[in-house]
Amino acid sequence: MSRKSLLKVENLTFKYGAEPPVLKNISLDIAGGECIAVIGQNGAGKTTLAKHFNGMLKPVSGKFYVGGKDTGQLKVSVLARTVGYVFQNPDHQIFHDTVAKEVAFGLKNFQLPNELITARVAAALEAVGLTAHHATYPFNLSKGQRQRVALASVLALQTEVIILDEPTTGQDYRESMQIMNLVKQLHQNGHTVIFITHDMSLVAEFAQRAVVLCDGKILADGGVRSVFSQPELLQKTFLKPPQITALAQSLNGYAVPPDILKVEEMYELLKTRGEEIGCFN
Amino acid sequence: MAALIEYLPKDSPVHRLNALTKFFWALFTLGFGLLFNDYRYLLALLASVLLVAALARVLQNLLPVISGLTVFAAMLFLIQTLFYNQGQVLFYLIPGVDWVPVTFQGLLSGLAMAARMMTIILSFLVFLATTRTQDIVLTLVEKFKIPYDYAFMFLTALRFIPSFLNEVKMVSAAQQARGHAIEGINPFKKIKSYAPVMIPLVLLSINKAENIAMAMETKGYCGGHRTSLRETKMKHADYLLTAALILLLVSSAAARAAGYGAT
Repeated sequence: MSRKSLLKVENLTFKYGAEPPVLKNISLDIAGGECIAVIGQNGAGKTTLAKHFNGMLKPVSGKFYVGGKDTGQLKVSVLARTVGYVFQNPDHQIFHDTVAKEVAFGLKNFQLPNELITARVAAALEAVGLTAHHATYPFNLSKGQRQRVALASVLALQTEVIILDEPTTGQDYRESMQIMNLVKQLHQNGHTVIFITHDMSLVAEFAQRAVVLCDGKILADGGVRSVFSQPELLQKTFLKPPQITALAQSLNGYAVPPDILKVEEMYELLKTRGEEIGCFN
Repeated sequence: MAALIEYLPKDSPVHRLNALTKFFWALFTLGFGLLFNDYRYLLALLASVLLVAALARVLQNLLPVISGLTVFAAMLFLIQTLFYNQGQVLFYLIPGVDWVPVTFQGLLSGLAMAARMMTIILSFLVFLATTRTQDIVLTLVEKFKIPYDYAFMFLTALRFIPSFLNEVKMVSAAQQARGHAIEGINPFKKIKSYAPVMIPLVLLSINKAENIAMAMETKGYCGGHRTSLRETKMKHADYLLTAALILLLVSSAAARAAGYGAT
């Protein structure tokens, strides 16, 4: 897939005040339509990097381009039309008295026509499974539900790029899957999706590309398969590949490839191997 | 901004002093600052506060605050020079018609005002930066016999400011990311455009207060007689310094009564 570069980071360095740099000389090139997972330990600089993507933070040195435009002078509220950002804590943004109004907030800021706002709000609420709660007072919802309200309020903007900072925190397995399937759908519809997560199985299942941050530097950047097949590298930042990949790697001596990402893959592989050597007869 | 009133753990002679001594020092600076009107006295006092900050190795951390205060000091200076119209006129701001006289005394009193404001604020900031908040509370409770509830309230309020400022940043970032902008020259529109930031902040603060209350109760707050792990002890240096400060304050009050440093 050789699509045109959409987000471009050039030798980006960032520090908070006089403290040592949080991001050191980062360069990244993200094409339109990619689905990228940013992983790494707490404090590795994942959120700091993501905040550059929508202009909330400006690089201390280096450049960041969105669609070829330098974001150095652009306001966050302007960049918001291109890059949507879902924050970790929904309570930092919710302030309306109904869920639907909350979701409509961004659309109103963009001064879209009313009919379009209503349609998009309905679509976004349906996508996060909160249609029934459109008139509910947001603070009567659970934290997980509020998280999805925040998600819907960004989804409704239908921005080209969507950034999700730990979208599955506080969600149960079913809700996590619901959110991640939504992410997958967005990606299939042509959006560029970047998500931060600590859950390696989500990375294996939903991302195409993984960027591993360690101590403010990019430790690895590539296809999920190739990143997870380097356990020594992941070890450096105390990440572990998904269990099924770890199993494949420990079975490496038995002609099992080290880059298996899903249980089904392993199942298929073992089944065909078994049939080949006649285990099942 | 967030580091404005936070304790900066460092090893310095000032840090090692007892909280009470440093509190006396801040009070002394306040007293001295209010006592004298002469700009030379106040500039000297400002210099002494900066010296203490340097000795405590917090001068570097206070620099952003100092530069911020300088703006206010400059404003004070300007206002004072513009509205003080007694004494020897140096020049008129609007020449020809002789409007808005700028007087020599006006300049000096502006300078004194600016130096006084900076000195008083900085001395308390140095006190807070070099003293652990627990020690402040302990001193308030043990030495000043303030009920623990009030002392704790003070501590919590103090601790609340940096985290509140941090939340202001987070909330406005979250709203900007949804295309919200605080704009407009119309003051009513501007106030209205603050709502998306203000409302979540109020809700978050109420929520936080509730959580703190719950956490306090689970940790046995109000569960009976309190004892403290740390003891605040006055050392020789503390007694010596406090005595010197009191002596200095009394003698400067006497000097002021005798007519020194009046203007």
